[in-house]
Amino acid sequence: MLSEIPLLSLLLIVPLIGAVVTLLMGGGMAKHAGKAAGLFAAITMVLSLYLLFVDDLSTLDESHVWIDAVGLKINYALTVDGLSLLLILMTTILVTLVLVFCKNEADRPNYFHSLILMMEIGLVGVFMAADYFLFYVMWEVTLIPMFFLISWYGGPRRHYAAIKFFIYTHVASLVMLIGIFAMVFEASSVTGAGIDFAFEAVKAAPFAKDFQTVVFGLLFFGFIVKMPMVPFHTWLPDAHVEAPTGGSVLLAASMLKMGSYGIVRICLEALPLGAIEWQWVMIGLGLVSMVYGAYACIAQKDLKKLVAYSSVSHMGMVLLAIGTLSEIGILFAVVQMFAHGLISAALFMVAGAAGHNFGTRDIPLLGGLAGKFPLFAAFMMFSFMASLGLPGLVGFVAEFGILFSFWEFLAAQPDEWVTVLIAFGPLYMLLTAGYYLWAMQRTLFGAETKKVDLSKCEDLGGPETVALGLVCLLVAVFGIMPSLAVDFIAPYADTLGTFLGGLI
Amino acid sequence: MIPIELVLGFSAALFAVGLYGILTTRRGLVALMCVEIMLNAANINLVAFSAYSGDALGQAFAIFTIAIAAAEVAVGIALMLNAYKTKGTTDIDELTSMRW
Amino acid sequence: MLDALTGLGVLEYVWLAPLIPLLCFVIAGFFGNRTPQGGGYIAIFGALAAFVVALLASYEYVMSDAYSAGEAFVRDLEWLVFGDYALNFGVYIDSLSCIMMLFASFISLLIFIYSVGYMDGEGKKKRRYYAEVSLFLTGMLGLVVSSNYLQMFIFWEIMGLCSYLLIGFWGFDHPEGDEATENAASAAKKAFLVTRLGDVCLLAGLFILLHMFGTLDYEGMFMQAKIDAVVAANPVKFPVAMALVFGGAIGKSAQFPLHDWLPDAMAGPTTVSALIHAATMVKGGVFLVARSFPLFVQSADVMLFVAIIGGVTAVFTATMALNNMNIKRVLAYSTLSQLGYMVLSLGAGGYLVAMGMETGNAELIGLGVLGYSAGVFHMVNHAFFKALLFLGSGSVIHSTGTEDMRLMGGLGKKMKITSITMLLGSLSIAGFPFFSGFWSKDLVLETALAPASHGLGAEHWFTLLFALGMITAFMTAFYMFRMWFLTFAGKPRERAVLSHGESPKSMTMPLVILSIFAVGSGLAIFANFLCHAAQSLEVGMRWIMDAGRVGINEHVYDGIAVVKHMFGNVWTYVAIALTLVGMAIAHAVYAKRKFEPEAFRIENKGRLYKLVANRYYAPEIYNQISWKLGAGVAKAVDLTDRKVVDGAVNGIANAIIGAGDAVSMSQTGYVRNYAGVVVLGVVVLAVVFVLAFALTGGI
Repeated sequence: MLSEIPLLSLLLIVPLIGAVVTLLMGGGMAKHAGKAAGLFAAITMVLSLYLLFVDDLSTLDESHVWIDAVGLKINYALTVDGLSLLLILMTTILVTLVLVFCKNEADRPNYFHSLILMMEIGLVGVFMAADYFLFYVMWEVTLIPMFFLISWYGGPRRHYAAIKFFIYTHVASLVMLIGIFAMVFEASSVTGAGIDFAFEAVKAAPFAKDFQTVVFGLLFFGFIVKMPMVPFHTWLPDAHVEAPTGGSVLLAASMLKMGSYGIVRICLEALPLGAIEWQWVMIGLGLVSMVYGAYACIAQKDLKKLVAYSSVSHMGMVLLAIGTLSEIGILFAVVQMFAHGLISAALFMVAGAAGHNFGTRDIPLLGGLAGKFPLFAAFMMFSFMASLGLPGLVGFVAEFGILFSFWEFLAAQPDEWVTVLIAFGPLYMLLTAGYYLWAMQRTLFGAETKKVDLSKCEDLGGPETVALGLVCLLVAVFGIMPSLAVDFIAPYADTLGTFLGGLI
Repeated sequence: MIPIELVLGFSAALFAVGLYGILTTRRGLVALMCVEIMLNAANINLVAFSAYSGDALGQAFAIFTIAIAAAEVAVGIALMLNAYKTKGTTDIDELTSMRW
Repeated sequence: MLDALTGLGVLEYVWLAPLIPLLCFVIAGFFGNRTPQGGGYIAIFGALAAFVVALLASYEYVMSDAYSAGEAFVRDLEWLVFGDYALNFGVYIDSLSCIMMLFASFISLLIFIYSVGYMDGEGKKKRRYYAEVSLFLTGMLGLVVSSNYLQMFIFWEIMGLCSYLLIGFWGFDHPEGDEATENAASAAKKAFLVTRLGDVCLLAGLFILLHMFGTLDYEGMFMQAKIDAVVAANPVKFPVAMALVFGGAIGKSAQFPLHDWLPDAMAGPTTVSALIHAATMVKGGVFLVARSFPLFVQSADVMLFVAIIGGVTAVFTATMALNNMNIKRVLAYSTLSQLGYMVLSLGAGGYLVAMGMETGNAELIGLGVLGYSAGVFHMVNHAFFKALLFLGSGSVIHSTGTEDMRLMGGLGKKMKITSITMLLGSLSIAGFPFFSGFWSKDLVLETALAPASHGLGAEHWFTLLFALGMITAFMTAFYMFRMWFLTFAGKPRERAVLSHGESPKSMTMPLVILSIFAVGSGLAIFANFLCHAAQSLEVGMRWIMDAGRVGINEHVYDGIAVVKHMFGNVWTYVAIALTLVGMAIAHAVYAKRKFEPEAFRIENKGRLYKLVANRYYAPEIYNQISWKLGAGVAKAVDLTDRKVVDGAVNGIANAIIGAGDAVSMSQTGYVRNYAGVVVLGVVVLAVVFVLAFALTGGI
């Protein structure tokens, strides 16, 4: 009975209904829009939590032919596996918490909350899609609500940021689309079957190595812009600085993961030979992003910009791990995606709260906040410590695993000298600790600067505390018991790692 | 029967007259008339080919063209009238507010 | 009665030792302000419970067959499995763990009790204080009972976090004003970052070890066959990994060149300093070296490096204590110097063992094991007398409200208990005969000389290190008594006059208890302490111990014999003489002769004085490095980011817009132009088609 319910579709339909209902709650109803949206998000979250208790996730797969015309077969196909499970959970949980956190965010709350739910559809859709066409549609679906979140609810330079965000990532998506078409059509000509957009159909095709190398480049470009990797990252700080807190949280926590998810799901699964050709590019870009992002953080004055650059740095870790093309690397890449999702959510909530409560996020203007706002200080310190990889919190597990997988990769190289590249890892960790501690020293500690009138400012309110508290709780729980997360991913990483290992 | 070359030559001459008019005149109404002349040159071709190939489809198209031309003239003259009312001129070189 | 205790089976529950303080951290953190003393009693209870657990567990372990058989007590749970690797979470109890657990929890207990008096005036902030010190204790106890390197690293970092929080305790509201506030915040950051530099080295070392050994469990790593295979397979990587692991110890135990965070860390409350210096934190680094001894001894080069770092730190930091006027700073430098002794001892001992293994000389191994035991012994003795000295100085600061010794003097009469207990502590650290520091320091120096006297190569190095150790012993005696005379002898100066006498009982009681231990802990040598400490080596490197059984018996296994040997050595008397001379000079200068505090102003003195008073410009060097390599590069990166990377993005966007603008200029708005272009287009197309037609010769 229960198995006949299309659970995965429900994860898309519930937020869709929620988005429509919330959107219609204009006028006098608007002040309840947040609650309605929260309710729908909570239902989605509960549904997604049910996934944890499903023994065999493949029984949930859905596949229907969506369009079958002019020789094209496009499917409405959804699937969940070890790679996507935690990302979906993270998204639904964070959407709910964001809606709790941003109760009083906007002057037209129904639009705001509706846009957040629309984001959820796109994000969950990307992680569940098992058809290239559906994947691309969902990929673009995330773009539109985020564009409006920034351009309607953003800061002073919101129009510039929104358009930059839109065009930059959209151009990258189009390059990716070319890659997708190339893959789908080539698959048809290689196998002799009809043109079918389903993941399975493409994966089954034995592509030539040269073809894989070229198409990998196209898809890879589309994905690293989204992640984003240096030097294609500059849309991110602008978008984050201007976006409202809720938008920032989802942007950093889930949207960036679409890029790294795409690399694993599409580039690695369907184009393994191309991945081997591009391996050093992935590792190089990952290392550069890690250190470059960390250095850029040191120079930032805006808390949100600092956190945005830290995302570049931390996502560099993900690419590095994927670049090892090993079981451990892929495993911890996913753990890092999950960890960074949770931690960056907390970071952006804190940065957003600084903006709301103190009227500025400018680090040099703040100072001595810990004495007056203990709750804010505690959360800021916790999230910063989590982000700099304090053991006992989930970020450390991911960093440890990734750097270890990197060392294993280096140690296996024929050239001995490449082992010195491991030095990037400690350098990254040191710089990360440096910029976070320096930022804390200037905002939380020291004497008050008196440049901001803090006398009327308030500490975090109830909803903010609840949302942040829950995120931090998750960060701690998965840090103390990482096997809770790792065990879900391990079978997938094992399969993919073994598959790739056989090709190298 | 009149040789088709003559008919086509006549239609080409008529088209050239219309084209010359449109390229040289600055008066809006004259330009409209020139457009009509060119359309009718095309109509002559349609009718001529229709008659010589024994297929009535060309003549049907000619009638379509005439109907559309009528509508187009109605719109065109209305535009010119309004242009004259608002700008006080039908000189098409003056009516350039739509450029970049 | 004692049999009943062993029957309790506390050993199985030894994980409670770190867990109870952790629970106290949570309880005090959330509900501290609803209990008296802001959670102080909760923290005390936690430390007491941890001590009791440690005591019972240690007793049970020492009584067990495993102890006499030279086996560790190990219990593991699987924590994280990935690929072919399994990381565990568990306990590993041997004599080293027991020793560390016992003194860490006992001294923490006394410090917490002392805090009730010392931190009484801190109001609501006490909750934070007691929560954080409880977590600190968790970190230390977790560190010492860990069953593998990764778990150890986790607690290692938790200690780092706690030191950050506690050094920055006054980081946003110092009673002495904004400057002190900034100072505390800055010191906390420095402590965390400098130790972090060591930590990341350690982590890198752990990656290499995990890759080579396939596990990070002590039990799985400390096996002769495995170590031999790994060393043979990785002749370069293995020493590098061990050097990196030692990097972690350099950071945590504040060895040269990462020593400079420790003096700054005095910005925290005095009790925190006592905790960091005596019971936790800096002992972590020494513990790491001791725990990894079976691995370290595989590489004589690394051990030589360790010994050199230790010896240099000992003398280098001792000089800075010579002219400092801040009572806490003097103690901080003395800690650095004593840590140097411990590291020197472990390094020289390891070198001896390494050489003994190479040459098959049992006596060398025995001497090396003696060095190891001496290092551990000195760590324990140091824990007692340093806790005593810091708490004593806290008592003085509490009473006078200043840390500047130029403003003290003559406090001996007003603060009898404090002055006497601190005198005992000073005698111990100075190595006055039969006080605790004497025994262990002497063994350390003996170990340092041994490689030179046995002609093992690197004689120059070890002769030098021995000489440095001797000089340090002299300087220690001098600066400790300088401190004592300045504080307690002579006439009361400005702030001493205002002193409100002896501190409350909750503060003096721990002082008295500690002074008993500070004086007496050295006597443990007669209870075969060295032999017990060496038991942990038997667990880790049974094969070495077997090889050197003869030598070990001679050097370690009989305390009386060791003492006899000690007094048969001429250098022992030289060291005693140097100590006495140092004390005498301090007495002559600071007790007999009147002097004006003015005379000690830095600008009146020569270059050397300035150099030392400015800590050899180490803070400036640290600042320069971090500004140049940190902020400087960051500025360049930021500029590149905005101008070059983002510039390119905006440039492309602007180029496209510009091109659009340029093309739109062709839209003139003249209908006749458009018509002309259309005609032209038609003509061009016609020509093209005709030509194409002509060239291809028809369709």
